[in-house]
Amino acid sequence: MKTRILGAVALIAVAAMVLVALFVVPADLNQGDAQRIMYPHVASAWLGYLSFGVTAAAGIGWLWKRDMRFDAVALSAAEIGVVFTAFAIWGGMMWGDPVWGVMWQWEDPRLTTTALLLALYVGYLLLRHLTDDPERRATRAAIVGIVAAVDIPIVHFSVEWWRGLHQTATIGSPDRVLNPAAPMVFVGTLLGMLAAFTLAWVYLMIRRYQLARLEVEREEAARVERLMSRHETAEVAR
Amino acid sequence: MSALRHEASLALAIARKDALAELRGRHAAVSTLFFAAVVLLLFGFALGPDAQRLADAAPGLLWLALVFAGVLAVNRLHLLETDDGALEQLALYPITRRAIYAGKAVGGFVVMLVLGLIVLGAVGILFAVDVAGAVLPLVATVVLGAVGIAAVGTFYAGVTVRLRAREVMLPLLMLPVLAPLLLGAVKATAAALSGDPFGELGAWLQLLVAYDVIMLVAGAATYGYLLED
Amino acid sequence: MPQTIYVSPRSLGAHDTRPPAVVTTDLARLFAGSPALAGVSLQVTAGRTIALLGPNGAGKTTLMRILATAIRASYGSAAVDGIDLGRDADRVRERVAYLSHGTGLYDDLTARENLAFAATLLDTPDRDARVERALSDVGLLERSADRVRDFSAGMRKRLALGRILLGSASLVLLDEPLAALDEDGMGLIEALLGAWRDVGVTVLIASHATERLEPFLDGRVVLERGLVADVSGDGVSSTPPTPPATRRPAVVAR
Repeated sequence: MKTRILGAVALIAVAAMVLVALFVVPADLNQGDAQRIMYPHVASAWLGYLSFGVTAAAGIGWLWKRDMRFDAVALSAAEIGVVFTAFAIWGGMMWGDPVWGVMWQWEDPRLTTTALLLALYVGYLLLRHLTDDPERRATRAAIVGIVAAVDIPIVHFSVEWWRGLHQTATIGSPDRVLNPAAPMVFVGTLLGMLAAFTLAWVYLMIRRYQLARLEVEREEAARVERLMSRHETAEVAR
Repeated sequence: MSALRHEASLALAIARKDALAELRGRHAAVSTLFFAAVVLLLFGFALGPDAQRLADAAPGLLWLALVFAGVLAVNRLHLLETDDGALEQLALYPITRRAIYAGKAVGGFVVMLVLGLIVLGAVGILFAVDVAGAVLPLVATVVLGAVGIAAVGTFYAGVTVRLRAREVMLPLLMLPVLAPLLLGAVKATAAALSGDPFGELGAWLQLLVAYDVIMLVAGAATYGYLLED
Repeated sequence: MPQTIYVSPRSLGAHDTRPPAVVTTDLARLFAGSPALAGVSLQVTAGRTIALLGPNGAGKTTLMRILATAIRASYGSAAVDGIDLGRDADRVRERVAYLSHGTGLYDDLTARENLAFAATLLDTPDRDARVERALSDVGLLERSADRVRDFSAGMRKRLALGRILLGSASLVLLDEPLAALDEDGMGLIEALLGAWRDVGVTVLIASHATERLEPFLDGRVVLERGLVADVSGDGVSSTPPTPPATRRPAVVAR
């Protein structure tokens, strides 16, 4: 019941923030209306990264406690995270086209790092898909998730270095929205969007985890069932 | 400290065993080298014949060739352990999982280093860049790049050694993680070849060192879980 | 075939002061949902030679692989020489030697190189001399410089046994040791069993049929479809498995 309320609140919050971003907040002086997509883009990207962190942390939990529920969390975070990440990249490209003139800019650390994040997600999910045994899958996924998560900050810094050393600070930089000196209404909208999206993320995580955990429990019950039937047939045979 | 030295000698024993098996009959190192050479040739066809364009692209082509060859090399080093269940047996010795990882990674490093130096020379010839003029920084870059590829590649080769669709999954998992190494190595190589006009060589080499250290630690910490099934 | 084989176990102490060589409690292991081992509770007294019998798929190999720390259990627990496998696998590895179906030998290395490598990893004292002794004990001294690639299945088995001689295990697990062995190989197994018994090493032998080994066995365990079907002789006992209670789902006890 509480989850349903959360879901409703999240939906309303996201819808409200979308309306604010589209109609209430003023357009950027330099970038015009195209800048509006930055709000959901940044929010999605943030959640994409958060999800990967959760995946990696849950992997550590599995390796440490060997409780399948950790793996259920890891799976949920990965599936939800990949969607947010894909959306963030799409949003970034949609923004880039009118503002940069091109849909892609190699020296934008956020865009390139997020693209790499998507590749890491895809590899992670494929690895899970290709491993049948649940425990082996959980272990492999956990270590791959950890190593990938460790890699992400390095990627970010290296691309930033890449840009910094070439000193191309463009006017059309997405960082403007995150600049603390930006007008309050921009910052406020961004924070509001962030909050709304995070609520939605929490809701989705809860739902996905519930599903995953049911799956785990079902699998576990089936295993116990098979063990019991072995015992019974052996008893009968005696 | 002597426990660490013991581990190190175990790792070296594993690397030596790999080297022996490689030299003896697998012809693996040689075929990987030829693969890298073929890749360079194809780059020449794809991007040539404009000599200036090739020279400009040379650092990138060098490291692309090495990274692709690296995927093959680490894959084969792990395949050595499919000889009649050798990997399972290796995991049964009373040695730390870290030592096994280190042993495999050292083997990978040696292969990548030799490969890297030869391909560096080949690039100098094929794409007309002055390798001899910047030998020290170029060799340093190759060394650091070899460490990174070996550290990351050994880990992922272990992950995929019994995975379905291994031939696709190994590069798919390994290459995105190698992106910072690729970036750093290419930039360092380009800086070295052009005489480092912006003074950025040091920064890129530092990036490579940081990358290598972090990846070695991450790989050593997690590789052991692969051996537990 | 040499009469005496050099076996150097750790100092094991008098029989009655030693903990049971093997204790398993409701040990179970599933592969892709199917139980290979469905709940085995066994106790093996130290220093005995026990046969694990049963048809293919009964769980003999799975049980050995768990005891050798090659794979983890899905449920239940096991201890070797009183050391819990779940908590202290590294210490268990020091005292267990395992002859598996795959010999784990490197085809491109010679017999001597394979053993030298093993001796380095086992930290065998007096390495080179021990390697020569092991090669001679298993009857492969003349072929010691040949690559394992050219060896027959029986010779590989013997070399793998030589590798076991380089360690100082207190528990030796032999999985189908008689398969692919010729007469000389059989004689070697018999000599090894005698040597191990003399120094108090516990031996578990998995086999389809062990008529030939009968005189060396203390006890027998029959496995069937992942469970203990019968126990006889002495040195080994078993208890019926406790039915898997409806445990808290998703928390797997290891």
